[in-house]
Amino acid sequence: MLVPAVALGCALLLAQTEGEEARVADVLPVLRVEPAEPPVIQPPASPLPRQDWYAPKVCLRLPPTKEVPSGQWRAQCDAKARRCLVAPRYERDAEGQETERPLERVRACTEEFHTPDAALLKTYRLEPAVAEAPPGWYRDERGRVMQFNFDLNRRLWLGGAWAPLWREGDAAGRMRADFGIAVEIPGEGRRLHRLRFIETELYLGDLAGFDSTLMRYDFSVERKEPLFRVTTFFGKPRRYDIDINLGLWMEVLHAEELERGATEAGFLTWGAVHATLDLWHSKDLVSYVRVRAGPSVERDYKNGFTTLVPGAVLEGDLTLDRDGFHHLRLGVEAEKVLLAQRVEGRPLRPERLRVSAGYEFILLAINDQPLSLVVDGRGAWREDLANVPARWEWSAAAGLRYSLWAPARRSAPKAPDVGE
Amino acid sequence: MLALGLALLLTATEAPERDAHAEPPVRAAPSMRKAHAPREPDTTPCLPLDARGEPYPICFDPGDGLVLGTGLRVRDGTGATSLRAGVHLRTGRTSRSKGTPWFNSHRLLGLDAWGGARRGLTFTAYDATLRRHLEEGFILVPTARPLRLPFPFDVTLAPRLGHLERRVWEGPGWTLETGRVGLLLDPIRSETEHVWLGVGPVASHTLRRSRDGAEHTVSPFTTLMLDAGLESGDGLWALRASGLAGWSLGLDNGTFFRARAEAGLERVLLAVADQPVVLQLSGAYAHRDAGLARRSEWTASAGLAVRAFSARW
Repeated sequence: MLVPAVALGCALLLAQTEGEEARVADVLPVLRVEPAEPPVIQPPASPLPRQDWYAPKVCLRLPPTKEVPSGQWRAQCDAKARRCLVAPRYERDAEGQETERPLERVRACTEEFHTPDAALLKTYRLEPAVAEAPPGWYRDERGRVMQFNFDLNRRLWLGGAWAPLWREGDAAGRMRADFGIAVEIPGEGRRLHRLRFIETELYLGDLAGFDSTLMRYDFSVERKEPLFRVTTFFGKPRRYDIDINLGLWMEVLHAEELERGATEAGFLTWGAVHATLDLWHSKDLVSYVRVRAGPSVERDYKNGFTTLVPGAVLEGDLTLDRDGFHHLRLGVEAEKVLLAQRVEGRPLRPERLRVSAGYEFILLAINDQPLSLVVDGRGAWREDLANVPARWEWSAAAGLRYSLWAPARRSAPKAPDVGE
Repeated sequence: MLALGLALLLTATEAPERDAHAEPPVRAAPSMRKAHAPREPDTTPCLPLDARGEPYPICFDPGDGLVLGTGLRVRDGTGATSLRAGVHLRTGRTSRSKGTPWFNSHRLLGLDAWGGARRGLTFTAYDATLRRHLEEGFILVPTARPLRLPFPFDVTLAPRLGHLERRVWEGPGWTLETGRVGLLLDPIRSETEHVWLGVGPVASHTLRRSRDGAEHTVSPFTTLMLDAGLESGDGLWALRASGLAGWSLGLDNGTFFRARAEAGLERVLLAVADQPVVLQLSGAYAHRDAGLARRSEWTASAGLAVRAFSARW
């Protein structure tokens, strides 16, 4: 007993030094188990089991087979059940034959010569499996990996849509091109920062115009402490915690230009700051329904004066499914233009009302970049266009959007959950 | 002459002493495949040893370097001298979100000026092609068990920002393409940065300011763009071709068709103090896309340029 104990001690000491694991096997010949028979890989089950992303793997060299002539496998072993899930280290072709392309996006496996009990593992029941995939990614039975979970709140998008507009019973055919950059950054504690850059919609055709914002920022927060408490003293004193998740929304340089008949209008918002109140938000803060209100400073550059525009908005942005394929966006907005100079053909303090609802659905992904279908409907009622009677005008749009970046969501599940 | 002058100036700057036995510094931006390959010994074909045993570069990267050149340009039969300058930068990176390589070519602060009776200039703040390479491109159909369909293309993003054209002889005014972005598909899917062929739609916005006022035109992915390049492995030869054809919409004056094609050839003739001197030949044709008046014209040019700091060490 003494000799193996000393040997084990030495082995553990040596194992402290990085890169010296190979010697462990040298000093522990007692643990080497030579299988009496060559390892046998079981027939594949249907569907194939999947390796766990977080479980450690050993790179095993097994006898060559017709499909895997290199004999190189990745094994995830369970000593208790004496079972290993084994997957080839290289992708397979359509016929199931091993190719020269190594598996992508797998975690490193421990080489066999660094694993003292590798021979023992080969005596376990070896069951064919699909190698692990990172959260948000799926690996097919050939070992090819693909992203199936997309964060559309972190992307650069380019899109186009057919967006006709109806006003006073007449329809105007328009095309819409849109692009922008969306970034989401989790902050300290329960806080989520959202940024949008050069978010732009360009309308072409009849009633052309554009709407573009250089930068927009807001955050959602889930506060640990209630904003304030109310204690009542009627009978037994009771305390009520009022949780109010107040946040901030702001935008810098928002330009809007439009034409209606002979009237051309252009508005440049230098900056806007709103306080936000989340009526509801999801656990990960990504989805929300909130109200926000605050002032903005706006330049009416067609008429040449600057105004103060207080506004209030009820809006929602909901990611409807776990994998980020379905998105619903809603908004109701009211604004009043103050401190304006008198312009013939419009009120001194014009008002604007806007309503919108939109749905975006990922149709497919091209090289892991999502292509989504966008449909939305919008309505606007505004008095700020000179000589244009205030009327509701409605538009509907249907188009496609191609997104770059769009990594897996932070809450992405592991691949085995696909389709569940 | 200017190019040669610059080359001689660079010669005057003493090259740093190199230990013949020391390993050559690793090149900043090799192709992704090379970046992961084991470093080759000093006897690499790109770094032969001179009589004193010191290595000297004979391979260059056409996508890297500080370019300064001069030459002769002929436009619609009228000749003029020209000057070219710019910064080229080629990088490779692995996407963190997708785990696949990107081959990126950036061209910054590009200036092309010409004299003569029809003097003018073009200046481009930033122009790039960003190609994401996949060994096996695919389309994912999000069924319950994701379905993978073959899609044999790399996807390239081709942004260009701030392209200004000023033609003095056309009178007061200028043409500014504020932004252009192309979404190109590359069927060649090369594993190196030396070969590419991108074709796809482009969106752009252009502002023409003349004595008649400002004119905005946009092309909302209604223009098709082609961008192709072929470079020899040692970078001594480089061939590039690009084309653009499609419809632009004037916010005030309707729709019009425009087209443009350009091809260029570069050959490294010699290197002075390890900085290559390059012969540049190019030809271009613009159909209703040149200058304030959106005229049609052809151009041919030949010149010499120094492409400093483009040697592959």
